[in-house]
Amino acid sequence: MGSGRALQLLALAFLGSALPARVEADSYLAIVPQSPVLEVGTNFTATCVIINTSEVTADDLYWILFETTVPVEQYTKINESALNVTVAITREESEWLFCQCKKDVLFFQNNGKLVHGIYLQKGYVPGKPENLSCEAVQQQQYISTNFSCKWQLVGRQTAAVPTSYTLYAAVLFMQIYNETTQTNRANVKLGDTFPHHMTLEVWVEAHNKLGKIESEHLKEDSGWFVKPDPPSDVKVFSEKSFPTSLLINWTHLIPKERVKLTYQIRYRQNGTQNWTYVPPRDTATDIKSFRLQGLQPYQVYETQVSCKNARQGLYWSTWSTTATKRTPEARPASIPDLWRIIAEGDSASERRVHFICKDPVLANGRIIKFDIKIQDPKEKVKNRSLEWDSIPRSSQRTITDLKQIHLADQKSVQAIVTATNSVGKSAEASLVISEKARERPPVEELKVWPHSGQLWLEWKPPISTELSEYVVEWVSEGQTDWQKEKRNTRSTAIKGPLEKFVCYKVSVYPIYKGWVGKPASKEAYLEQGAPSERPVVRLQDKPGRNQALLVWTEIPQGSRRGFITNYTIFYTSGSETHEITVPANTTSYTLKSLSGNTKYDTWIKASTIGGSVTSFNHSFTTLIYAPGEMEFIVVGVSMCFLFIVVMTMLLCVYKKDVIKENFWPPIPDPGESTIGNWSPEYPLKAETQKDSGLSGISVLDVDVGDGKCVFEEDKAGLPLKKDKYLSEEHSSGIGGSSCMSSPRQSVSDSDEGGDMADTTASTVQYSSVVAASSGYKGQTPNAPPQQAFFSRSESTQPLLDSEENQDMLLQEGSRQSKRFPPRQPRFTDSADSAGIAEQQELLEPLDFCPLGEDSEHATPVDGQAADWLPAPAPLSSYMPQLGGYRPQ
Amino acid sequence: MNGHVKSMNFQQFMEQATTLLSLLLVMAVYSTRTVAASRNQQCGNPLQQTLKLSRLIQKETVDLIKTYKVSQGEMSELFCKVSVNNIPDPNISGMETSEKIVSIYTHLQDFLPHFNRVYDQQTDLQSSTSPLLTELNNVRARSINLAAHINNLYQSLFPNVPVPEPAGRPTTLPPPQNVFQQKVYGCVVLKTYKELLLNVSRELRILKSKMCTRRIQKKHFF
Repeated sequence: MGSGRALQLLALAFLGSALPARVEADSYLAIVPQSPVLEVGTNFTATCVIINTSEVTADDLYWILFETTVPVEQYTKINESALNVTVAITREESEWLFCQCKKDVLFFQNNGKLVHGIYLQKGYVPGKPENLSCEAVQQQQYISTNFSCKWQLVGRQTAAVPTSYTLYAAVLFMQIYNETTQTNRANVKLGDTFPHHMTLEVWVEAHNKLGKIESEHLKEDSGWFVKPDPPSDVKVFSEKSFPTSLLINWTHLIPKERVKLTYQIRYRQNGTQNWTYVPPRDTATDIKSFRLQGLQPYQVYETQVSCKNARQGLYWSTWSTTATKRTPEARPASIPDLWRIIAEGDSASERRVHFICKDPVLANGRIIKFDIKIQDPKEKVKNRSLEWDSIPRSSQRTITDLKQIHLADQKSVQAIVTATNSVGKSAEASLVISEKARERPPVEELKVWPHSGQLWLEWKPPISTELSEYVVEWVSEGQTDWQKEKRNTRSTAIKGPLEKFVCYKVSVYPIYKGWVGKPASKEAYLEQGAPSERPVVRLQDKPGRNQALLVWTEIPQGSRRGFITNYTIFYTSGSETHEITVPANTTSYTLKSLSGNTKYDTWIKASTIGGSVTSFNHSFTTLIYAPGEMEFIVVGVSMCFLFIVVMTMLLCVYKKDVIKENFWPPIPDPGESTIGNWSPEYPLKAETQKDSGLSGISVLDVDVGDGKCVFEEDKAGLPLKKDKYLSEEHSSGIGGSSCMSSPRQSVSDSDEGGDMADTTASTVQYSSVVAASSGYKGQTPNAPPQQAFFSRSESTQPLLDSEENQDMLLQEGSRQSKRFPPRQPRFTDSADSAGIAEQQELLEPLDFCPLGEDSEHATPVDGQAADWLPAPAPLSSYMPQLGGYRPQ
Repeated sequence: MNGHVKSMNFQQFMEQATTLLSLLLVMAVYSTRTVAASRNQQCGNPLQQTLKLSRLIQKETVDLIKTYKVSQGEMSELFCKVSVNNIPDPNISGMETSEKIVSIYTHLQDFLPHFNRVYDQQTDLQSSTSPLLTELNNVRARSINLAAHINNLYQSLFPNVPVPEPAGRPTTLPPPQNVFQQKVYGCVVLKTYKELLLNVSRELRILKSKMCTRRIQKKHFF
């Protein structure tokens, strides 16, 4: 505090002597210090001094920072003419700090002389640069004097207080070079030539208005910073006598007196990804060649070399261009990869065995040929002299077809194969095909699944001590490939090239000391996709009314590109689409609950886990009627009709009396008419007991002896008791005609007038003529002749029925006639038997005479009637009655 | 009584002698270690850098002479067989290491004006892009660096003895020469400088062998 105070006083003393000369004419106030550069995060103290005026004192002053009055608490009054303020520098932006007078009047009167401000520039102390690194690159046989460095910036900086960086590179005992930059990298030129074998000291100084700071110094031999170019002219040589070795030579432009280099070598087989690095201790010396050893014969190797300063050089060069060379050939170091394909033989008990072979894994050269010998495994000791078959190696394929044999199921065979290259022959490979029935057990629980672009297998081994290895075989579209696995392998990946979307049948064969065991097989895809071919959907038969049987083609194996998981059937009639999912093994499905007479579109989607494909639409229209439905309806209707007919007939048969009574009401028999008895002295009720069955047929049986009886029956057949029929001397007829065709107006019960007249085609009005005369009654010989009455009966009884029932009526008539046969003799006994016979002849057609005939006879009858009506004679009066019916 | 006094004096003497001997032993060990440490430092980077630099300059001088001969046209071999006066002696003088180092330093300093003269002469004779000028410049610059290294080596080995400047033996440069004389002069300077570097390298190797061998022996000893 004491020192600070002393500084302030010193500053004031300075102000007292220096400032007045400059600011006297401008302001009565001055701030110390002028134009300060402040570090953000610190406190700043400024002093406002009153100069050349006594109008104001320190009490009249106040401070303004960033347009805000600084609180009085931050003020410190030094004396009457000086006022301190302490403010915290928090913001990065530069700003003004004003010292101003409170007295407004004085402020304005002095025209701005009572205000003074200083501009506060703010920033940060520079941070120490870190991670300095420098390099000098090679230029031809020299090292460039352009020394390039970079470092990491630390700390913050503001626009008002920027930080600069100066790179220093000092050649010890000689000269210092420097370069200033605003960024984190710079280049300096180290004179005219690179200072080889001199010590360089390099550092960066960060500096701004608030201070400066140096980075760590790098003090190393100049070669430490050299980044050389990679070796040039890298060449590789092979020597026939060293099939496992390659010699590498290279050159480097930089002489070792300038930069002593150490080298790094790496190599790999052509086509592989991983490099093998030569141990650094083998290449640490100053060398220009190196011999790679322990290589595989007849393999192409890629080699690269890089270098750096041997004396603690910092930078490795980039790798040289790749030098490629093939190692010389050597004798095959492993046995050929022998396998077989077994197919069905020509006969049922025979197999076709096809031996195939791949080059030995360590072929150590180009295999020229394979030698094969096939023998019975049980007799191999005897047949050592069997000759070898020599098969040239396939030039196009990696698999060579060796030999094909037919092998009986009950026999076993052993194949022995060697591979030969230009240097020598391999050891023998052996494979035994056992009897079909004696194949060794397979592996268990084989699983195959794709993973990371490979097909992986896993299995459990069979329990056997003779198990020597496994053969993993995969077959696709007739192409067979295989790989061998060690006996302790439980899981592996297929190493051969597999194609996506192709179905592979993967089999694992256990090999029991050369004997091939039974395989375990699974099908698998490396990757599944949507089928490449669409299923074709169609209808099996014509669609029904409510259902249709869909069938679709199975996608060919080569086009499935995956396991079909299911089929989805879609069908729509236009408004709503239905879908049905069926299992993958289904190729037909019956769509049900369809609407009749509706057009349906249907399609099917075959799905795998990799996608799906949809068939083209297939359209069909359902039937209006289901098969048999029409026949059912026809039969049903027919049956109903037949039933009705039968029922009607039965009804007619069994209820014919009722029908007859309803449709053919009893016709009063004029012959039995008792009109004569309608007089009050003849009660009618006694006559109702008469059998009405005979009402339709009136047989006038004139029985003199039994005349009373006849009269009784006639009374029963008179329904004309109704009043309207009780008309006297009235007649009615069809169309006004009548058998009697009386010109007089007739009265009938048909009040409908014209309507009734329309029915005349089917109805016949019968007129009943009742001659109530004394002659009629007077047939009774004992009865006195009475006045004759003419009465007519009307009936709507259809004539057709009468005609249809003619036979029946005839029977009735005959029956009735039979009822009265005893009477006929009575006719015979009458006075005029011929007349009676004639009367009988006239009576029979009385009911049944055709209309036409009746019409023909009507007129004369009418004429006769007109003539004889008034006649009193009983017989004569009776005859016209008969004739009166006929015209009808 | 006297015997006892004599005995007491003897005991005191023995104690003082023992203390003195102990002190001397400690000082001897300390001084030996200091020298060893100093020599260890000189066996390290500065000496090796100096030796390497001398080899580099030697190699570059050989190349430079080849380039010089090629660039001087016909009879270049003849130029280099002619003797020229006032060329610094390439032999290292002195018996002690310090003398030899001083001699090396002095000879290097002596050659610098001659290099500058040759460079100036060849600048007139060669095109500006001639590799000869580049190589001359490189050798000249490295000679300066080597001189600085030798000076540093001397100061590190003999820190209390200032490096004597070649006073009283000012370098004598030849008078103005014709082109032929310039070519001859340049070749002789380079050849002589090569001999000097050969001698310098040899002396430095000897020095290195001395320093580093002793260091190794000390290591074994302690």
